[in-house]
Amino acid sequence: MAHQLIIDAHLDLAFSAVQVNRDLTVPAATVRTQDGENVRRSFGSCTVTWPELRRGHVGIVFGTVMSRIDPNDEWTRSAMYCQDQCHGIGRGHVAYYQVLEREGLIRFIHNVSDLNELVDAWQAPAADTPIGLVLAMESADPILSPDNVAEWWDLGLRMVSLAHYGISSYSHGTGTEGGLLPRAKPLLEALAAAGIIVDLTHTTDQAFRETLETYDGPVAASHHNCRALVPGQRQLSDEMIKAIVERDGVIGAAFDTWMLDPAWEKDTPAYDQATSATLDTVVDHIDHIAQLAGNARHSGIGTDLDGGFGTEQSPRGLNTIADLQQLPDLLEKRGYSAEDVTGILSGNWTRLLSRTW
Amino acid sequence: MLIIDGHLDMAFNALFHRRDLTRSIQELREREDPVRSGLSSHPDSLERRGDSPYTLYKGVTTVSLPEMRRAEVGIMLTTIMARVQAPSPTTHNACRTRHTAEARGRAHLAYYQALERRGEVTFIKSKDDLERSVTAWENPQPDTPVGLILSMESADPIDSPAAVAEWWEAGLRSVSLTHFGVNTYGHGTGTLGGLYPTAYPLLDAMRETEMIIDLTHASDQAFWQILDYWDGPVHASHCMCRALVQGQRMLSDDMLRAIIERDGVIGIVFIDTMVNPQVNWDKPSTFVSQAARPMQAMIEHVDHICQLAGNSRHVAIGTDLDGGFGRELAPVDMDTIADLQRFLDLLRRAGYSEDDVAAIAHGNLLRLFRDNWR
Repeated sequence: MAHQLIIDAHLDLAFSAVQVNRDLTVPAATVRTQDGENVRRSFGSCTVTWPELRRGHVGIVFGTVMSRIDPNDEWTRSAMYCQDQCHGIGRGHVAYYQVLEREGLIRFIHNVSDLNELVDAWQAPAADTPIGLVLAMESADPILSPDNVAEWWDLGLRMVSLAHYGISSYSHGTGTEGGLLPRAKPLLEALAAAGIIVDLTHTTDQAFRETLETYDGPVAASHHNCRALVPGQRQLSDEMIKAIVERDGVIGAAFDTWMLDPAWEKDTPAYDQATSATLDTVVDHIDHIAQLAGNARHSGIGTDLDGGFGTEQSPRGLNTIADLQQLPDLLEKRGYSAEDVTGILSGNWTRLLSRTW
Repeated sequence: MLIIDGHLDMAFNALFHRRDLTRSIQELREREDPVRSGLSSHPDSLERRGDSPYTLYKGVTTVSLPEMRRAEVGIMLTTIMARVQAPSPTTHNACRTRHTAEARGRAHLAYYQALERRGEVTFIKSKDDLERSVTAWENPQPDTPVGLILSMESADPIDSPAAVAEWWEAGLRSVSLTHFGVNTYGHGTGTLGGLYPTAYPLLDAMRETEMIIDLTHASDQAFWQILDYWDGPVHASHCMCRALVQGQRMLSDDMLRAIIERDGVIGIVFIDTMVNPQVNWDKPSTFVSQAARPMQAMIEHVDHICQLAGNSRHVAIGTDLDGGFGRELAPVDMDTIADLQRFLDLLRRAGYSEDDVAAIAHGNLLRLFRDNWR
């Protein structure tokens, strides 16, 4: 079977290039030879670069702007102390994508016609077909205020999560207890007015509920697995999954073994443990969502494969993101129709985007 | 008295070292205290556990905006700093690719713009802006914004000559082509070699604007190549005298004279390794990690340049106090950037007239911009 288009709804490509200082225009194997020991320890063996995406026909990605406030971040040590800093880093991430667009390597997807053109182009891609980029933001801290939303929309921003780890300017996030902060409501109103999708990933349970109560626009969970299979706040409970399905949202399957393997120890370095999770484990989560929904229209892919880990913390058998092309067969083996497979790999995300715009 | 600091790396500190520069020095120091925080002293090493052999020391901070306001350091040249250089454990802050350099450069710009939005700083892009800032600092209020003249240390973020106009529009007014290592447009400090051919069209494009070239961090060959080709204004934002401390990083007397001839200015740097005669900048093994000299040592360099020039018109201040070091390498009688006012007292005591002191503190840099901007 010919390769088919895959949409990955969550990659931190700009962070990887700008903060981790990787050259993402070369194969992952080359990046592994270039990364210093400190980067290898903290970020693992690289799995995501532009040529790897191309090889795996991952023709459209949601690429993030990622900079959050978290004065207590002793883990990644990249979180900031004030929004001005986040804004600076965030604009730098946009600039990275803009540089690549200028060079023809990628193309921003601003609207339905951009989207359709890219989807068409990736049915039979040429060597120089650009990778489509939907600009997303993980933690809304780079948005200085509601009146800053328009500027971000013009830059291409189409999906935003209010929080990440810790407590952002707008909401409690993963690892904390609490809900939305007072500044969230006006921001959500501005996001709804602009037509920006709210990404529910990394909100606390309380903030999740409050967001759905406050915000009536389109929602998604860009990189999120199922709490029924892997316990923990970072995963979605069945109730939460149903709430997203009710809103016709899409949930991207995440490939971090911490979110796939209940036995994974977050506090043990990735290189000191081995996971039992495989790509089939990822399919378990896709399937759980489909069973809850009664159809396959709400599952997608949101790997997060460059989210601070490498092969060591990825499903066994995944060498680079190009291995996503194993998914069609695995899904078929579970009995998914060709139409469902296309939906999971790309169609559900394009439906959400088309409906939103 | 108004002081203009001709070289700070504010955005780099805010975004790489994650320092919120609107906070007090005390707060920043407490945050970074390794005992209190339990972290290595280099919070942005991208180390997850702090057990790496490669943690780098960035120093006890001496620069923040409240501290500058307190001491009437009311105008600064502050950088976009994102050079391309082969990364290694000792060049942790270099960018591997030009993509990264341009992105980091734009991040720095956006940070300054966010500060301006908040009223912390005000961009100085024209003579009018400059005079407005000078006037404001004649009668400073607690919230008088610090005047910001945008500079760039190593031109890597400028993608092509065609991009110069956009950077000018954004406020960029002073550019050094290189920094440490071998960069996109030529050879910088610590390397042997000159400009690359791409530097010349870039210089042409900058000459179309009223850009000022900063000769700091040019290799010796690149220094003379720039002066041969470039007939516009020059300065050396943060440089000292090779006659007193050895090494390519310092300016030889010929170089100092060449800058003086162009009516350029040379900014005095407040780091011990540039006033310590035991240090040779071409031999890293001679570097020290702890300062042993007071600010008085900087005056030897001031004197040297003034003697060569025959006047005090070519010396300025370009502290570099947040340039990868901290209080431990700053002069021993300097706690924060606010102590620059005491440096002016030392100049007075050394026999400099009030006019001379004013020229060094701000007048010479003001002249550089007033003479070269429409």
